[in-house]
Amino acid sequence: MSVEKTKPWDEWIREQDDPRYAHKKPEALDGVVVLDLSRAHMGGCFGASLLAELGAFVIRIEPPGGDAARKFTPFGMIHKDTGLGYLNEGRNKYHVTLNLEVEEGRKIYRDLARYADVVIETFKPGMADEMGIGYRQLSQVNPGLIYCAIYTYGQFGPEAEKNRAKPDYDIVDQARGGIMAITGEPVEPEIPEECRVPTKEGNWMGWYAGGVWAAYGALVALIWRMESGKGQFIDVAPPEGLLKYCDYHLQWYHQAKELRSRIGPYDSAVFPYTFVKTKDGTNFISGFSDVNWTHLCNIMGKPEVKDMFPTIFDRLNPENQPKIHHVVEEWSRNLTSQELTDTVMKFNLAPDAVGVVATAKVNKPLDTLGEDNWWIRCAFVKLNDPNYGEITIANPAFNRMTETPARVKWLCRPVGADNVIIYKRFLGYGNTKLEELKSKGVI
Amino acid sequence: MAKSDYFEWAGELFSMEEVFSKPEALSDIKIVEFCTLILGPSTPAYLTEFGATVFKVELPGMGDTMRSLTPWGWFWKNQALGWLKCARNKLHVAIDCHKEEGKELFKRLVAQSDVVVENLRGGTLDRWGVGYRDLAEINPRLIYIANNGFGQWGPYLVRPSYDAIAQSESGEAWISGFPGRLPMKSGIWLCDYYGGLMSAVGILVALHYRDRTGKGQYMEMSQAENIMRAMDWTWLYCHLTGKDRDRYGNRDVAICPSDIFRSMDGELVAVATTTDEQFKGLCEAMGKPELVNDPRFVTNLERTKEGNAEELLSIVKDWVANNTWQVVDRKAQKYGFAAEKVHNGRDHYYDEHFEVRGFKWHIDDSILGDGVEEGVAPKLSETPGRVKWMGKPVGFDNEYVFTKYLGLTQDQIKELEDKGAIGKWTDFISRTPPDDWDGKSGIIFP
Repeated sequence: MSVEKTKPWDEWIREQDDPRYAHKKPEALDGVVVLDLSRAHMGGCFGASLLAELGAFVIRIEPPGGDAARKFTPFGMIHKDTGLGYLNEGRNKYHVTLNLEVEEGRKIYRDLARYADVVIETFKPGMADEMGIGYRQLSQVNPGLIYCAIYTYGQFGPEAEKNRAKPDYDIVDQARGGIMAITGEPVEPEIPEECRVPTKEGNWMGWYAGGVWAAYGALVALIWRMESGKGQFIDVAPPEGLLKYCDYHLQWYHQAKELRSRIGPYDSAVFPYTFVKTKDGTNFISGFSDVNWTHLCNIMGKPEVKDMFPTIFDRLNPENQPKIHHVVEEWSRNLTSQELTDTVMKFNLAPDAVGVVATAKVNKPLDTLGEDNWWIRCAFVKLNDPNYGEITIANPAFNRMTETPARVKWLCRPVGADNVIIYKRFLGYGNTKLEELKSKGVI
Repeated sequence: MAKSDYFEWAGELFSMEEVFSKPEALSDIKIVEFCTLILGPSTPAYLTEFGATVFKVELPGMGDTMRSLTPWGWFWKNQALGWLKCARNKLHVAIDCHKEEGKELFKRLVAQSDVVVENLRGGTLDRWGVGYRDLAEINPRLIYIANNGFGQWGPYLVRPSYDAIAQSESGEAWISGFPGRLPMKSGIWLCDYYGGLMSAVGILVALHYRDRTGKGQYMEMSQAENIMRAMDWTWLYCHLTGKDRDRYGNRDVAICPSDIFRSMDGELVAVATTTDEQFKGLCEAMGKPELVNDPRFVTNLERTKEGNAEELLSIVKDWVANNTWQVVDRKAQKYGFAAEKVHNGRDHYYDEHFEVRGFKWHIDDSILGDGVEEGVAPKLSETPGRVKWMGKPVGFDNEYVFTKYLGLTQDQIKELEDKGAIGKWTDFISRTPPDDWDGKSGIIFP
């Protein structure tokens, strides 16, 4: 295969993967049928959204009246019929209702599951099993089924049994997931007491971690099924998913028998690598390796500081970190965030530059929305959705693939909006049957 | 079947005893890693757990900068702990791709492989003549993913990135932390590990497509854009209200109650309810069943409204403050609401649950000895993931890889070594084996 090489790389690759042309290309997961049974759980919804963005046929099954997650929304704000948290993860899914509390609903679900490649559910452990719609039952009629169950404590182990009546929820996942214990401000007298505590990520990071691990597990299982024909059961515990992101958490305790403390914006393994105040806000700035530290000292016009903290270990010394921070801030306070970024980039791009300093303004979300870069790259998209009007959302992270880019087709659907098409297509139900089911409270 | 046997059944299905007797889902996938720090190396690390063969290519001598990543400059058996986390199960080779012979060798490795993962700034490998355009020529089925801060084109192409750049640019840091305080940088390298995992998702999707069509492809993973996608209702809220999303400490402004409270015995406890039924349970547990019918608290929409939320949170705060963590926990189990204390490293280390689930993974490493690391997420019943070894010195597997996969002879390997195109570790901490290494253990070949 011969590839054109005369064009500059960025120009060439943009021609290959510009998301503006995504709709002309095939979808990677075309033909993969996913049932999204998440209940009051944005992690399950997100896991299924990721697959839907990449082309899977995702059927979102809600109880009649809609899932409680439709009402997860800041300050009680409702847009049309739905809260904002749920709207963001309704993308590309078909929305049907089904009452699993009654046997007729469960039978319909079992019939649908014959067609499914993947199920994602967030019930309390063993609940689906008890209702006769768990992996044990469904795998008998569909041995190729890949079944992902997401729950804080997983599907087995002492805590799963003990806590089985507790629901899975984001802040519990973050509390148990290690990330909170090491995020936040240290216990120091000048910091208000209520603020110097373990601190969560502002977004639903616990739930979203669970969702991405579920999608990951399902894809590993799809690859295996292609080879073996076999489905499998996948146990996703979001706190374990977060602990996978927690650096050297267990190994550090095992070897050093010490706890990692909360150090605000500092870092215990790389420094300087922190936030500094600017004339009009806050910037992140780094320069931790020897060559990058030298570069930073030159940019600041303070070459003499370099030898005060000559090695990476001098700069990691907890006693030196506030001193280094102070030196950098003395300089950064005289510049606006934009001036700081521009100055650093001018030095980075100088032909004789040896090191690299990374910096960025700590953006408010509206700052981020206001930067051209993200719109040029289609990181955001403004949609005019037939049901929800003009809205802005973040595009799929994978909308730049040369062959099968991810994409958003619609934002969300009202409760039960796709009952007719889905029950017709998969089970052959016509209007009479649907009316009957509706009158019985099944859909 | 009855619920009573469910946990037993699930425990057997996922039994740690059986892990190594089951197959690996990705055992026929080969990945070439040309990465540094975490965003890049974490991607193949996740995939090795499910059986992929990963060739980690480093520069001879000092290798990956990541080998120095360790808290407070503390090394265990000459190893950096931050490095080990992403080094597991990989084959470690050292090739100098600045040299022609090195480039040639690298290309031969790629020709044999399914996937390339790299995380240099956009266009770097293309400039060196070993980018996607060069590699797709020799391996048209190749799946190539580049993880970095700002992708491969666009105004920010030239900007360097780290985890915290993504946290800053996206607004993630801005929406985290307490009102009136500075924005909060996560205590972990969140956007690196999370970006790395999303990249692994992309690779699996592309493998799935290739299995059906025979076609490989190129993919971009920007860690900043990836975290922006995970910021839930932020962008909708900004668009619809014209207002910024601020930071609210540990309180969830979209679900109420949900916050961290201090118990009578000083534990920090998360308490939350997501549905009206759970809220009813919490009210009963607090001995205030009348709150369920209070118009201010009757639905989540009412409970999250400003004013109502503060009042409800203050009621829960008082209740937790007058009870021990144990009592709150027992009530949560009985009444079905969410409650958990903030766990730290010690809690995790001594957690019997993680021991049973194998999430606390004990490794008997041939080079490093006894280690304990996070195990595998998620758990797969038929093809469970596993940890085989922790990490090896620079170039440790050169002979094995170049002989088995590229058919090089001992003389050819020697010649490449003499030219400096390949090499081993230099005598510098975390590039070397531990001091007590016997010179043999862990070597696969010869």
